[in-house]
Parts: sequence; structure tokens; C-alpha cells
Amino acid sequence: MDVLHNLAFGFEHALTLQNLLYCATGCVVGTLVGLLPGLGPLATITMLLPLTYAIPLSGSLIMLAGIYYGAQYGDSVSAITMKIPHASSIVACIDGYQMTLKGKTGLAIFTAGISSFIGGSVAIVVLSTLAPSLGEVALLFGPADYCALMLVGFVCVSFVTTGSLLNGLAMALVGVLLGQIGTDVNSGALRFTMGLPFLADGIGLISIALGCFGIAEIVRNLDSRSQFSPFTGKIHLIPTWPEFKRIIPSALRGSAIGSFLGLLPGGGPTIAQFGAYAIEKRFSKHKNEVGSGAIEGVAGQAAADEAAARTSFIPLMSFGIPENAVMALMLAAFILKGVQPGPNMMGQHPDLFWGLVASMWVGNCFLVVLNVPMVRYWLSVFRIPYAALFPSILFFCCVGTFSVNNSLEDIYITAVFGLTGYLFVRLDLEAAPLILGFILGPMLEENFRRALLLSRGSFATFVTRPISGTLVSLVVLFFAWQTYAFFRQGRNVRAASGQAVV
Amino acid sequence: MTNRRVLRGLFLIAIALFFGIQALAYPLGSFSRAGPGLFPLLISSILGLIGVFMLVRSRFEQADPMMFNYRNISIVLASLIGFALIAEHLKMIPAIVYLVFVATLAGSSFSLVRNLKICAVLIAIAFALRQFLGLQLPLL
Repeated sequence: MDVLHNLAFGFEHALTLQNLLYCATGCVVGTLVGLLPGLGPLATITMLLPLTYAIPLSGSLIMLAGIYYGAQYGDSVSAITMKIPHASSIVACIDGYQMTLKGKTGLAIFTAGISSFIGGSVAIVVLSTLAPSLGEVALLFGPADYCALMLVGFVCVSFVTTGSLLNGLAMALVGVLLGQIGTDVNSGALRFTMGLPFLADGIGLISIALGCFGIAEIVRNLDSRSQFSPFTGKIHLIPTWPEFKRIIPSALRGSAIGSFLGLLPGGGPTIAQFGAYAIEKRFSKHKNEVGSGAIEGVAGQAAADEAAARTSFIPLMSFGIPENAVMALMLAAFILKGVQPGPNMMGQHPDLFWGLVASMWVGNCFLVVLNVPMVRYWLSVFRIPYAALFPSILFFCCVGTFSVNNSLEDIYITAVFGLTGYLFVRLDLEAAPLILGFILGPMLEENFRRALLLSRGSFATFVTRPISGTLVSLVVLFFAWQTYAFFRQGRNVRAASGQAVV
Repeated sequence: MTNRRVLRGLFLIAIALFFGIQALAYPLGSFSRAGPGLFPLLISSILGLIGVFMLVRSRFEQADPMMFNYRNISIVLASLIGFALIAEHLKMIPAIVYLVFVATLAGSSFSLVRNLKICAVLIAIAFALRQFLGLQLPLL
């Protein structure tokens, strides 16, 4: 009953008029910006961060979380209605867009909305029961264990977001190196500043994220010259009772899978969607229809998406280690506000923690009551031609960069990372692991140095400690499997080409 | 023809060298008392190895041509840098006008009336941000 008591305490904080307002604003603005082509949750959150600067601490975190959910939902709406996928809503494109082609857009949007609500509610129960106990586990972790955990995170994120372990890992390492720029905490030495004084404090995450996800994305869209035709069809939201009955079991399955996959390192909404979709295809009552615009195909993945979006807060809150790029950004935003998430956060700021948890559910309600009925009006943002939209996005990127430190010089750094990000896009390197590497880099270094200090320079400490030993062996196993798969694939290709010659 | 796989390897090696060579100049210390140079050196060596591996692997794989469009990225970067310069030396309102007019050169269509409209809207938004959110934008 401790949980209920804590949740009630949280709702006391979340349900003040001010915080309700912040939550609603976050959801609405997040949805609106998330709808825009080329702006996934990462870019949306970074661009909207300045909105939260002037707001008191707990309100700003609540608003930020609202922006995150709003962006997720906006993403899925643009996927359903116009098949504009972001990394976070590829699965929503499959059945959602098929439903639009059948003229059932309203039903698809309603299904996505209500399933998100179910997924979110389940995930909050998981979050509020699991996070405190995991926080106690986190206290057992020593520096070596933290290193191993981050390593697992890198490997998982690299594999999940890029599908290619090496590309992703390389990007995570580039991120770690970028995180080294600035003053070394232990010795006070300036590293990699190239004699530029404004680099002494390091590079801002906002500059990197806006450069790689905002500006690079804009240029990519400009290059492809794709014009999105705005959605003009009718939206009829309210489903019939039999339709409604088909949503529930899929949404529940999706919530369970999403809650679980959201917990794992490297997990999060994207992988959860794929998992839930695969399950629907296999186990749902109408599995033959999945893929051709079935309600189940939308409900399962939407619920999983939302559930994972919330449970991915668990590693951040209990270990202080973000499991994917969006959470890395959240961590940065928390730190910017002077809060260090981790095992101590629940003890030191119980109002913040439980207020945030409660506001997640409030945000869920707002999504259903506000966003779902009003979505038809918001789709009108697509009437604005991209040629008018992208200068405005550029402007917001500038404002976002500027307002972190009130410094115009930061805009140059953003421009540099815009160029770098564009290079990444063209080289087919994914930038999400870079963000994670950048955030975890300093923590990794500190724990690495501390672990070696404690073990007097012996690397055995990473293997002999039970926790880090297990985690390291997981990584080794994963690498072995990848190498095996690589060689087997190579042999198959050679065998195939050999046959072709004969 | 430029091969994306080769370039990717070279790019990663370049980054590894850039950080690795500088890291050598910092005190390395020992493993039990790591200096500021040790960790970055370690990381950049791993990155360099990955880059070399990619380069080697690319010899056994099919070439993957890379396209690079200089025009749009240059226009966008010019608009950003100009925005910062103008905002620093003049004020932000002329910077917004500059940003809009230069950036739209990259778009598929260019229209003076529309650009003026965008400018007006953005300036209004900038004032609203300053008024209601307390952002310290140097507008006037």
C-alpha cells in the first residue's frame, strides 16, 4: 500500500492548477511540433526545451514529460494520416496508413489514442512499483559495475537503432570523445579545446542534438525535395462497439510487451512497437488482417509505444543511466534544472519523482481528451508549405541554442554540428547512439578511473565482481554471436555467388 | 566515384586520430592513477580500430555510391552563421529577416510576399517568447 500512498502524494503535486496547465501545454505543443515532417521526438524535445526554462522546477519537468508524450503521439498521427515515418513511428505507418487508405482514419487515430492511454496506465503501475525497488538495487552497484552497465547500454543501443553493431558503436564512441571536450574534472586540465575559451565548459548537448537532428534533417528533406500532400479526408472518431472490443485485448498485450521492452537497456518505444506488432501478427484473433489495415495492428503497437516511453524512465530514475537517446536528453534537461536523477532522487526529491509519475497519468488523460478530438484541426499545420516551415524551424533551432546560456556563440557550434550531422546522414551513420555516448561519456570515464583506482590498476575488477562480470560476459556473448552471424552471412553470399557463376 | 563504405571508415579514422594525437600530449598516468589523456586515448584507439576494420571490410563488399549535395547545406549554414553574426553586432530583428531570406533560397519556391509574412510571424513569436517566457532575446 506504500505505492498507493506515494501515488496519492504525487497526485497532490500534479493536480495543482499550475502543474495541470504545464502538463496540458506540454502535451499540446509537443503533439503540434511532433506532427511536423522531419521532427522526431528528439528534435521536438530539444527545440521546446527553452519553453521550460522560466518555469519552476517541478512544473518544468512535468511539462517536459508532456512534450515527450505529445511528440510521440503527434508522430504516430502523421504516420497514420500521411505515412510520414520518423524513427519512432515506423510501425504505425503499416496498418495505420492502410486504414487511412480504407477511409478509416478516424478509427485509426482513436485506436492509437485509446491504446496509448491503456499502455500508459499499465506502464505507470509498473513504474511506480518497480522504480523504488530498482533504486535499492542500484545502490549495490560499484564503479566497475556502472562501467559494465554503460557498455551494455552502448551495445544494445547501437544494435537496436542502427541494426549494425559496428556503425552504432563507432557513433557512441564518437559521442564519448565529444563528451571529453572541456575541463577534466579530476585534474583540471583543459582537453581538446583547441585554445578556444568557450569550449572550456564543453559542448552543449542542445547544440549537438539540434545540429544532428534538427538542421541535418531539414537539409535532408530539402535535398529529397519531397512534398507532403496534406491530409484532406474526413475523420470520424467514434468507433462502434464491436470495433471497440477489438482494441482492448491488443492494447493490453501491447502494454505488457511495451512495459517490459521499455525497461531493457537500449530498449524504448521503437523496439517495443516492433515487438508488439510481431506478437499481434502471431497471436491476435484477426491475425490474417494484420498488415492490411487491422485495428489490432494499430492498437498493439500504439500501446507498446506509450508503455515503453514511460517505463524507459525507470533506468533513468533508479540508476541515473539513460537507456536511449531520448532519455539522455531528458537527463540533460534534468541536470540543467539542477536535479541529478539516480538512486538518491527518490529520497531527496520525493515530490519531484512522484509528481512526475502522477503527471504521466494526467498527461495520458490530456492526450485522450484533448488531442484525440482536436487532431483534425492540428492536421492543418500540413497546409503550410515546407518552404515556409523550414525557415521557422531554423529560427527555433537558433532560439533553442541561444537560450541555454544566452550566448550567440553557441549558434556557431550548432552550425558545425549541422554540417557534421549532414555528413552522418550521407555516410549512413545514425546519430542517436552519439547522443547517448556524449551523455554517458563523462560518467563512463569517471567510473572507469575510479574502478581502476580501487583495484590498483587491475582490469580483473571488471570480470571478478559478480554484477559487472555478468554484464561483461553478456557483451562478449553478443559480440561472439555477431561475428558468427557475419561470417555465416559472408559464406552464404559467397555460396550464392558461386552458384550463380556455375 | 566515392564509395560510402570507404569514406565512412576514413571519417572514423580521422576523428580517432584527431582526438588520439591530442590525447597523447596530455599526461597519461598509469592505470591505477589515470591522467587526463589515458581514457580519451583508449577510446580513440578503439574507434580507430573500428574505422580500420570498416575500411578493410569495404574491400570485400560492393561499393555504395554516396551523394552529397553542397548547395542546400551551404545555404542553411550560411543562414545560421549570418543570423548569429547579425544578432551579435546589430539586433535580432534584422537577423531574423536575413535568416528567412537566405534560408528560403534553398526551398523549391521563392516568394517575396510569403517571406515577409514568415518574418512578421517569427518576429511576433520572438516578442511573445521574450514577454511570456522571459527569454533574453536581444530584439531591439
